Amino acid sequence: MSENYRKWPMVLFLGVLTTPLILMYVYLFVDTVTNTPPGAILPNEFTLEHWRFLHENLPGRPSIWLATWNTFMFATVTTLIVLAVSSAAGYSLSRLQLPARSFFLGGILVLHAFPTVTLLIAIFLILQMLGLYNTLIGVILVKISLELPFGIWIMKGFYDTVPWEIEMAGIQDGATRFQVWRILVLPQVKPAILALGIISFLAGWSEFILPLVLAPGNDVQVLSVYLAALIADDNNFDMNLFKSVGLFYVLPVIVLFVFFQNKLMNIYSGGTKG
Amino acid sequence: MGNSKHLGLILLAPAGVFVILFFLAPVVLTAIFGFTNMSTATGISGGAYVVNESTMRALGERFGERELAGRLLRKSYVIDEAGLQAARESGAEQATIEELREKYLGRNFESRRQIERLLKKLDNRPASIRAIKKIAASFERSVVNIRFDSPEELVAAIEGYGIVLSDAQRQALADVSYTGWVFTTQNFKTMMELPDTWRTMANTLFYVFSTLILFNTGFALVLAILTHYMPEGPAGFFRSVWLLPRITPPVLYVLMWKWLAWDNGFLSRMLEPLGIAPRNWLLDTPANAWTFVILINGFVGASMGMLIFSSAIKAIPQPLFHASEVDGASRWQQIRHIILPQLRWPILFITSYQTLSLLTSFEYILLATDGGPGGATEVWALAAYKKALSNYGGALQYGYGAAMSLVLVVIGVVLSLIYLRLFNFKALTESPKIEQ
Amino acid sequence: MRILLENFTKKFGDLTVIDNMNLEVRDGEMLALLGGSGCGKSTTLFAICGIHRIDGGRILFGDRDVTHTTSQERNVGVVFQSFALYPHMTVEQNIGFPLRLRKEPKEQIARKVGEMAEMVHIEELLQRRPGELSGGQQQRVALARALIRRPSVLLLDEPLANLDAALRLEMRSEIRRIQQETGITAILVTHDQVEAMSMADRIAIMDAGKILQIAEPREMYENPVSDYVARFLGSPPISFLEGRIEDSAFVEPSTGTRIPVDPEIAASHAGRAVRLGIRPEHFQPDGEVPIPGRISFIEIQGRETLFDVELPDGTVIRSIQSANEEARVGQEVCWGINAKKIMIFDENGLKI
Repeated sequence: MSENYRKWPMVLFLGVLTTPLILMYVYLFVDTVTNTPPGAILPNEFTLEHWRFLHENLPGRPSIWLATWNTFMFATVTTLIVLAVSSAAGYSLSRLQLPARSFFLGGILVLHAFPTVTLLIAIFLILQMLGLYNTLIGVILVKISLELPFGIWIMKGFYDTVPWEIEMAGIQDGATRFQVWRILVLPQVKPAILALGIISFLAGWSEFILPLVLAPGNDVQVLSVYLAALIADDNNFDMNLFKSVGLFYVLPVIVLFVFFQNKLMNIYSGGTKG
Repeated sequence: MGNSKHLGLILLAPAGVFVILFFLAPVVLTAIFGFTNMSTATGISGGAYVVNESTMRALGERFGERELAGRLLRKSYVIDEAGLQAARESGAEQATIEELREKYLGRNFESRRQIERLLKKLDNRPASIRAIKKIAASFERSVVNIRFDSPEELVAAIEGYGIVLSDAQRQALADVSYTGWVFTTQNFKTMMELPDTWRTMANTLFYVFSTLILFNTGFALVLAILTHYMPEGPAGFFRSVWLLPRITPPVLYVLMWKWLAWDNGFLSRMLEPLGIAPRNWLLDTPANAWTFVILINGFVGASMGMLIFSSAIKAIPQPLFHASEVDGASRWQQIRHIILPQLRWPILFITSYQTLSLLTSFEYILLATDGGPGGATEVWALAAYKKALSNYGGALQYGYGAAMSLVLVVIGVVLSLIYLRLFNFKALTESPKIEQ
Repeated sequence: MRILLENFTKKFGDLTVIDNMNLEVRDGEMLALLGGSGCGKSTTLFAICGIHRIDGGRILFGDRDVTHTTSQERNVGVVFQSFALYPHMTVEQNIGFPLRLRKEPKEQIARKVGEMAEMVHIEELLQRRPGELSGGQQQRVALARALIRRPSVLLLDEPLANLDAALRLEMRSEIRRIQQETGITAILVTHDQVEAMSMADRIAIMDAGKILQIAEPREMYENPVSDYVARFLGSPPISFLEGRIEDSAFVEPSTGTRIPVDPEIAASHAGRAVRLGIRPEHFQPDGEVPIPGRISFIEIQGRETLFDVELPDGTVIRSIQSANEEARVGQEVCWGINAKKIMIFDENGLKI
């Protein structure tokens, strides 16, 4: 960037604006291993008692490990299916002759921008009718369906950037369109698959409303619902405990964020979900 | 699979199944449910015809058949084969049963006392009062709380107990005893009449536009431009920090705000030395609640615009900046004349898409204020959700909730179609270059 | 193998890009399809390799009608402008890919890839990936991949456009060598007349979906069917003078210069407006028919120098000469046109 303007006022100004946010995150870490006397700002003792939920069940709550397993299954299965389905459909929309192709494309685009939560009530009733209410499978199916338009659109965008000549060359070399896709094109969009995988996993891991409405039972509870129920329970108010559970919950997210930050930034800026 | 038309459909099919089942079907069903009175009381599957306290009250109130209603709610007694069978199983003497069958088969009684009197008069009188009561119970018949699949079955059962119904009574009974959901436009009439509706709508508009203008575009622009005028290091740091709210799971993110805002929270503790009494800043006044709702959503929303605006600024050719500096532009002039004109489309894009997503998002509000205090921060999507899916009384109004959602669905579809036109859909649908 | 296009027609939507074209490529020759962008040369190529369906006519490979066969069954080798190597495969895997699809045994693939690599001189690059190769090396890999399954015909789509100037010269002769060594029928699509002239046995020059002329390079250069073809071939390009045929000579109106023409043409076009074409090498200081003008531009090209000579009405005639150090811009000269080498075109641009 240009040397003609001073930079430090910018840094200072934004630093001040960002302080509350940084404070919130710093205290998230600090409070999980310390106690703070009432009315004080700074903690005065180190403790691990807030992490007791790891080895004992909290009152009225299922095991944290069951909830973690459920969350992991929910996020992983959703991610894998979203990847498989959207890499196939994205290719189809990007490159293949389809009847009513522009209808499909328009449809995906509308769904992509479409406010999915408005359909929650109907989805709730559908799952009730199908007997999938309060099952992990049911909420996974719903989550996949709601993520697909975004996934397909992103994948289509990446397929669009693969040179046509690669595919033409493949066809001349004697490959079928299916072989062209599987052997020649899929390896070119690996970065997209990785990025979409991370996004889907994060979305699944963080999802709250869907499991809350569609699978609230203790056996199928995920961490977001677990934590929300913990916080909502007025009899056991313990902010440091909440934060510890929260930190436990957010750890995989932080790890992914640290490792794949740039990828995430790229795809978020390409996406449109707000 | 040499033919790409077939391959295309095959590859698209799995996505199609998912989207149709859990995306398009819900859209259609939202529209259908919106025109029903479906609720926990009616159930979600087909209804049944039931005589119970509430349906009979309706029979009395709507048709003036108070006497019939009272009779249907009372138990009656019939001596029939099924009753004789039950009596034998409950330990009645064979002789008693034979006598009842021969002399009294088919007789009706309107009260327990009547049938007990009969039993006492029998030649083969049961041995004890207890035995009499037991046998009498075997003949007890009642339609109360039995689910009948059709009005005919209900009427047949009632007439089986010797109650004769007129045609008008049958019709009235069929009307009031149906417990399932029915199609109605009542939801929309109610919506128009309730003052809550207009308040919720006003809340929604206020929420959407203030968050959008202040944060999703306004603050996002500030972030993008400020980081643009920074060295790479701090710029990357700030962008990462401002991305945190987006990737932090909502439940935890809102918890962190609660920590900041609750009455023992950070804010209260910081302000106490200044003589400001501790309070729950999130819920104490509508104004404070709104401030936090907008901040909470805005911090999440800003990152999206920040990233898109930043990459748009990066796409501006460097020589343009150098040239403007050589021409003596101040920083403000550079922003005004070089950066902002380039951001026109990204700003329009963010504004349109985030309008839609803010309009329908309620997750953060649900977690933060749950619409409080006293409904001050209740937005449309949250109200629909609460009506249909989360109600402390347990009476969930699916139909009314769906009707409220339908309003958002219609707005969503209309806005999406407008965006399609706006963002040049044609350019996205260039046809494939391999024609086989 | 002989390639034949009969009444080939191609439409995109309502737009007819190629209408009833006929073209024969002889067995073992290299034919250049030459034309500007949008002339239909790439469309023709895509139709021959089967990427585009055709809307009318037939395509024959030898005696076999391939009009309705898919690309995969046509056995056509294509070298694309961008080379289209598969970035995630090594050079060896790239070249062997067509054989792998045919499920040939591994050892056989390895042997054939080795032979092919030897022919295109890339034996030592087999384990590299395309991203680690120079443009010329990529070009060789693309050729090897196209040739490994012994295709009926080799199609080259602007094969030199993505190379820098020095490599272009090298690959021009390399492609020609490989084509002649394998004896394969080849079609070269190019917009560059130098490429077409230097590499091809015959040139088919195209414009607006039509073939204007098919001929050997020298024949086409010396005897173009129209002023369009004449302008397309030759660098620096041909110059034109507008004038009339009067008394068995072409009369240039602004200087009154009379250039004698063939008596037959003089007879058939007496008094008519025509256009005279003269190539720069035939306009020299010692030429036989002098025409006065002023040097308006000099471009020194090293061995040769290019002059623009402006006539009084602004028409420019180009001249290319070796070592003429006296001439200066602005100088009045009276150089001569070689009357035996002039070409006369009628008002429709056709050569007479």
